[in-house]
Amino acid sequence: MTRPPAKGAGRIARLALLTAIALTIFMAEAQLPPLVPIQGVKLGLANIVTVYAVFALGPADAMMILLCRVFLGAVFSGQMMTLFFSLSGGLLAWCAMSLLRFFLTEKQLWLSSPVAAVCHNIGQLLAAAAVMKTWAVFAYLPWLLISGILTGIFTGLCAQFLIERLNHIFRSS
Amino acid sequence: MTRNAKIVLAGLLVIALASAAFLLLHPREEALIARITVDNKVIQEIDLSQVREPYTLSVTGYAGFSNTIRVEHGRICVESAGCPDQICVQQGWVSDDLIPIVCLPNHLMIELTGGGTSLDAAAG
Repeated sequence: MTRPPAKGAGRIARLALLTAIALTIFMAEAQLPPLVPIQGVKLGLANIVTVYAVFALGPADAMMILLCRVFLGAVFSGQMMTLFFSLSGGLLAWCAMSLLRFFLTEKQLWLSSPVAAVCHNIGQLLAAAAVMKTWAVFAYLPWLLISGILTGIFTGLCAQFLIERLNHIFRSS
Repeated sequence: MTRNAKIVLAGLLVIALASAAFLLLHPREEALIARITVDNKVIQEIDLSQVREPYTLSVTGYAGFSNTIRVEHGRICVESAGCPDQICVQQGWVSDDLIPIVCLPNHLMIELTGGGTSLDAAAG
């Protein structure tokens, strides 16, 4: 956060780099077998990059990384249907993080991740309810809320450590 | 820790505890009417208490592949599915109304509803 904001080609290069990192994490995680046999429960490690981007680069840049990663992730995994779920969840999570950015200090930004994860899961369930044309899918909500909070704290702490280490590197260089 | 962080943390704690309480306190009574739906249209309704011999049935859904559903006395599961993720198969046997089996690509859902009380009422 202490870096001067990059402009022009530097900014594009940084966005591309972060998108590539997020996409790589996303594809690697997609190869793992599901942790529990419940739809929508996953670690969501690629969101480490999103949390980092919202706080270090700002919501606008984070949005571009998120949209590129979600679209390319759906293309590369060959399941275009997941685009709908990822977008509805991702956009809701992005809104939550962009708001929380004003209320939390730099040392507390990891807290925004579980909130974003919960919003992501609610967005996914709304998309699922639209696809299945029934609200009965909300039977999954309590499971997804608990798993979202746990995985969100994990990815949030990853992003927290990442920002602190990077700040340290940028300060010393 | 600042006041804002405490509010966020407290909110998360309330959500987690409420979810856990709901899952633990939800009455897990046997639900015996299995309703198989595609796009929320009922394909078949099975009274699992009336099933004597286990059997399988095949349902073709929205995505075009079929889910093979195995029906036994008091429980039901998806035995195999043509989708890549196989989440509905891994979910295994379901015998109560806590969580329905959902196959998102096929828009297929197997819901168990509390038939226990109405059946008793009918028998009484």
